[in-house]
Amino acid sequence: MRLRRPRLVAIGLIAALALSACGSTDDGASADEEGWTYESGSGDTISLDAKPERIIASAQEAAALISYGIKPVGIYLSQPVETEPALKGVDLEGIEIVGKTWGKIDAEKAAALKPDLIVADYWPQEKAYSGFEESVSAESKKVADLAPVIGANQKGSLEDIVEWYEGFAESVGVDTSGGKYAEGRQKYEAAKKRFQDTVKAKKDLSVLAVSPADDMLYVAVPAYSTSLTDFKAWGLDVIDPTNPKKDFPYWEYLSWEKADKYQPDLLLLDDRDYDGSLKTAKKQPTWNKITAAEADAITPWPGFWIHTYDQYAGQLDQLTDAIDKADANLS
Amino acid sequence: MTLAHARSTSPAPGSGVAAPSHRHGGGLAAGLVVLVGVLAVVAFVSVTLGTRDVGLATIWKAFTDFDPDNTSETVIRELRVPRTLVGLVAGMSLGLAGAILQGVTRNPLADPGIMGINTGASAFIVVSIMVLGVQGLGTYIWFGFLGAAVAIFVVYGVASFGREGATPVKLALAGAAVTAGFYSVTTGVVMTNVDALNELRFWQVGSIAGRYWPVFTQTAPFMAVGVAVALFSGRALNGLSLGDDMAVALGQRIRLTRSIMFVSVAVLAGAATAACGPIVFIGLVVPHVARALCGPDYRWVMVYTALLSPIILLSADIIGRVSAGDGELQVGVVLGVLGAPAFIALVRRRDLAEL
Repeated sequence: MRLRRPRLVAIGLIAALALSACGSTDDGASADEEGWTYESGSGDTISLDAKPERIIASAQEAAALISYGIKPVGIYLSQPVETEPALKGVDLEGIEIVGKTWGKIDAEKAAALKPDLIVADYWPQEKAYSGFEESVSAESKKVADLAPVIGANQKGSLEDIVEWYEGFAESVGVDTSGGKYAEGRQKYEAAKKRFQDTVKAKKDLSVLAVSPADDMLYVAVPAYSTSLTDFKAWGLDVIDPTNPKKDFPYWEYLSWEKADKYQPDLLLLDDRDYDGSLKTAKKQPTWNKITAAEADAITPWPGFWIHTYDQYAGQLDQLTDAIDKADANLS
Repeated sequence: MTLAHARSTSPAPGSGVAAPSHRHGGGLAAGLVVLVGVLAVVAFVSVTLGTRDVGLATIWKAFTDFDPDNTSETVIRELRVPRTLVGLVAGMSLGLAGAILQGVTRNPLADPGIMGINTGASAFIVVSIMVLGVQGLGTYIWFGFLGAAVAIFVVYGVASFGREGATPVKLALAGAAVTAGFYSVTTGVVMTNVDALNELRFWQVGSIAGRYWPVFTQTAPFMAVGVAVALFSGRALNGLSLGDDMAVALGQRIRLTRSIMFVSVAVLAGAATAACGPIVFIGLVVPHVARALCGPDYRWVMVYTALLSPIILLSADIIGRVSAGDGELQVGVVLGVLGAPAFIALVRRRDLAEL
């Protein structure tokens, strides 16, 4: 048993070397002697002998790569393509799906793709990358041995994450200085300014980010959500729950009996399954005891899937509109 | 006189019915009254305690002079009362399902949880919701019945292969395999949409939180029928407990009886699981506690089980509600924690085989 790991690493090394050898014979134009290096959100610096060409990525991170014209060879999902907000309208032609359900990546399929890099965000709380957390299948964990894993840091600012992906694109040779990428950045700067101005004009407005479940209401902790961290930094009063769960501090777990514990002027609803979540919430007799819920002051909250300027701009605009419409003196 | 002997748990041959319990009939009736009293107290506590502090005066007002704008009163009427009622009926159903199974299979470790019946029900329900797009408890409860029935059929069928028929060991093994199989189906389906996990996580761990009036009104009728059948099957179970040959000799139609018993287990376990997800240990442990209190006569065992089960379920739920700050522990989790040592103590009892 103990011998297997070194053997796997050895095989991986040989494969990587073979691949980089192939890479240099095929592609004479790139300066492969320099190799490729980029810093991961975990703080580790990842180096390869050549620019990564065969990337396997987690769904939402893959969407970001695709928007920069970087096409992964493989992708793993945590919900069906039809419902994944990050993959809406994204062309997955030619990309192999190596995992359809959360926590279960098909290691054989992934290995057959001969990846040289895996792109997935890093979650410092769990000290793990997306798809390789503690409770995933043993087979999934093996996939992380196939190639180095790199991704943005999911604690701190969402703006930093977006910048990270642009930097990653630059590092693999994408020219992000002009064209649609510059437009995307401009849209984002405009949306951010509009957001900040609207918030400043509505100083008394408070918001609460929630995710309703059948038997519990989850209240988001701003410090563990990169989008909420940004909103707070830009002047929005995001209510900070007083009693987050000790071992999973992303949320406070609230019983529906205490749904009215926090009274915001505007509710931000986890949009990973917006319609389903709203339906679940409306079934609860105490949902309308939150004044904002009764007044229908609810707007989607893109909890964790934004990775590009375009996406961020669009979501900020939507949120700004909702803030503009909201009544700051509701509660 | 053999009756003078203290715990005679095995029936005298040819008696037609299990030996009169070692306790006086009057003592048993008194015990019944005590249990009803305890159940009333537990139900009362279930309505008065919770994550939200609600005073007794407010509770009284909620029933006598309801103000819909008062959140605390809403919590009492719309959250705590239906939840308590669901816990009551579901607890009763699960306990009786276990008692019936133990009687029919003559296996002291039979229980809708161990035999994969609850997991079968929830697997079928989850598949119907996620794959067939079924909406609404009124519809998917029928998938629960189907799943429960399939589990019973498979477990009993597989265990019956071979000369010895369905021995306790074979039933337990077949049950464990079926439970594992159905549980992985449920998990597999639930995980295809991890963001719907919030709504489907329910089906992996039983809970009576979030169970409101619609759940009660749609599942209680089925459970009521199952409970009624169960309460009246004491005599039949007494006959079956003598062994097939003896029961036939006494004129019992064992095939018919067994079929009716299995159908009622499917209804009881299926409806309870459709209401609260798969809840473990009630059906396993409570009949033994009942037997310890009232003896082996199934006519009493059923009644005692019917009262003890909701007492234990509601108590576990209350514990879950007051031990996690502003959040709650699901009743399935609390029962798992409390039930495991009880189960181990049970398995280690020397007189376990004598049912």
